[in-house]
Amino acid sequence: MKRLDDLSRAALRIPPSYIVLLVLLVTLWMMRPNLMNVAILGTFARQVVPLGIVVLGQLLVISSRSIDLSAGGVILFVNYLISSGLLYEWPILFVVLLCLSVGLSVGLLNGLLVGKRRASAVIVTLAVNIILIGLVEYLANGKPPGDVPDQFRQLYNLRFGTLPAPVIFWFVLAGVMSGFLGRTVFGRFVWSIGSNPISAHFSGVPVERTVVLAHTISGLMSAVAALVQTSSIAVGSVRFGPELVMNSIAATILGGVVFGRPAQVWGPFVGVLCFALLFVVMTTMGVQEPGKLIAQGLIILLAAIFYGVRSKSNS
Amino acid sequence: MKRPYIVEVKTTEMSQLGRLFVGANSRHGLWTVPLLVALACSLALAFSTNEFVSSQNILNLVAQAAPLILVSIGQMIVILVRGLDLSVGSVVSLTTGILSLNAPVYVAVPGVMLAAVVIGLLNGITVTTFRVHPIIATLSMMGIVQGITMFVRPSAGGSVPSEILFLVSGKLFGIYMPVIWVIAAILVAWKVVHGSRFGLHLFAIGGGETAATFGIAERRNVLAAYVLSSCFAAAAGIFLAGRIVSGDPNIGTQYAVDSITAVALGGTQLAGGVGSLHGTVIGCALLAVIANGMNLLNVSAFIQTIVKGLILLAVISLQPRKTIGL
Repeated sequence: MKRLDDLSRAALRIPPSYIVLLVLLVTLWMMRPNLMNVAILGTFARQVVPLGIVVLGQLLVISSRSIDLSAGGVILFVNYLISSGLLYEWPILFVVLLCLSVGLSVGLLNGLLVGKRRASAVIVTLAVNIILIGLVEYLANGKPPGDVPDQFRQLYNLRFGTLPAPVIFWFVLAGVMSGFLGRTVFGRFVWSIGSNPISAHFSGVPVERTVVLAHTISGLMSAVAALVQTSSIAVGSVRFGPELVMNSIAATILGGVVFGRPAQVWGPFVGVLCFALLFVVMTTMGVQEPGKLIAQGLIILLAAIFYGVRSKSNS
Repeated sequence: MKRPYIVEVKTTEMSQLGRLFVGANSRHGLWTVPLLVALACSLALAFSTNEFVSSQNILNLVAQAAPLILVSIGQMIVILVRGLDLSVGSVVSLTTGILSLNAPVYVAVPGVMLAAVVIGLLNGITVTTFRVHPIIATLSMMGIVQGITMFVRPSAGGSVPSEILFLVSGKLFGIYMPVIWVIAAILVAWKVVHGSRFGLHLFAIGGGETAATFGIAERRNVLAAYVLSSCFAAAAGIFLAGRIVSGDPNIGTQYAVDSITAVALGGTQLAGGVGSLHGTVIGCALLAVIANGMNLLNVSAFIQTIVKGLILLAVISLQPRKTIGL
């Protein structure tokens, strides 16, 4: 009996995303064997790199029992900065740094309001999101945005061997985040708040500061994702974001990081890959947009039920 | 000064400014501030524009606020028990979708309410029995319901039974229907939230004191809260279907965020246990007055979004809690 218990507990530790990815790969292999090569799968993966980078921040925030819904606004704002033509004369490195600092400051603002001011994270990040979207729409004033500088496009289309450069970049970034979580004091702090915020506080973990830092990093990740997203579409856009934020939460949960669970990087990483494959599989099966929404909702729901974990104290 | 990190929230921890307006231990939250802001806005608008106090404009105002009030009441009930319902928007859309299928009204309306009850029950079961976090549970439900809506009605169109049209834009005893809807919703909700044992239990569960919830069937009450939230959203859907005389799969999208905004504006705490019906109605009224006023003053729609966000930020940082996070 005890062994069975241990076994089921071990099974619970495997993120659902691993299982889902396996199922999706087998399905794809049976239906379209010719799609199963590195170059094509790499191209699929490249489409979800912005989502993947947002998830790297989201998992930090979610595991410290907060949430970041402002990624859509940050992406929109950065996209506007690059494509509006205001900064065409500036050197590209400066533009990139400016965009990153926008992300950092939005994240810091979120973090201060949530961590220091102790306002509800859902409301704060929603409000910041609304403000950023309104700001971009006001600045753009209905005009279609301009083009994105060529360098962005070239970087995006770069390939090392068969793997696209953005995918490698995402992988490296995930590795850095994983090391950051596993090997630094901050990582330990996030870990301990994730498992129990009260005991973390009484063990001397600076809960406020950790939440602020988690939000700041999440804002930075949104800006990085925005850079990749912007170079992928090569033109400015005034409308995207909501699905991306929802998907980032979904992928994080699919990866086994729930409110009050220690953070880990590779589960959500695979969760994002699941989303890449899911859309491919459903498109080959001829499932339309409504079906995709339903399937996506069901997968999140089942993954969450699979864990059935909700902390008693902080719901 | 280091404040201890405490997870449970029992009452509003208020700023000095807040204490001026409410007693330090109000279970109803900080609702006087939004009331004063709403009154100040209305006064300013009444003096600066000619149209604001016209009966036509006030009727418009009520008709615009009515669906938001309905959705927000449901949202508040769920928030009181430490939940959150992100699926209300897609329930609104689904309702207009079903109503526009040309079914007779005595089939369509019960059908819509049945769908709402089922959705609410599923939300509640996921949250209580499977202990899934409300945000996650209702977020995935939002996707599923939105998908079903797009099956039912892929794009805006169809026609709504004429009875519903009358229910929304007709007159009863010389009173315009939107006004009746709002009054009826407030009366029903007042009875449920502030005038019944069930309502008291909602506050007790949200307050989270173990002692208070001994002897209260927490699971059943939380289930009922989610069902009520879906039903209020469906009512809002019926109202909107009558307004636009067709179905629209995207009409409800804004209501998830807007209802949370209105509830938070009205002083209800997202940590549960603190909140009030009058606060929520005031929150909705404030949002409606601001939107209406900025329309009258010809402020760009984009600026309106920014202002809405700033108000939300200001109000939410005026009422800090002990909890960090959601």
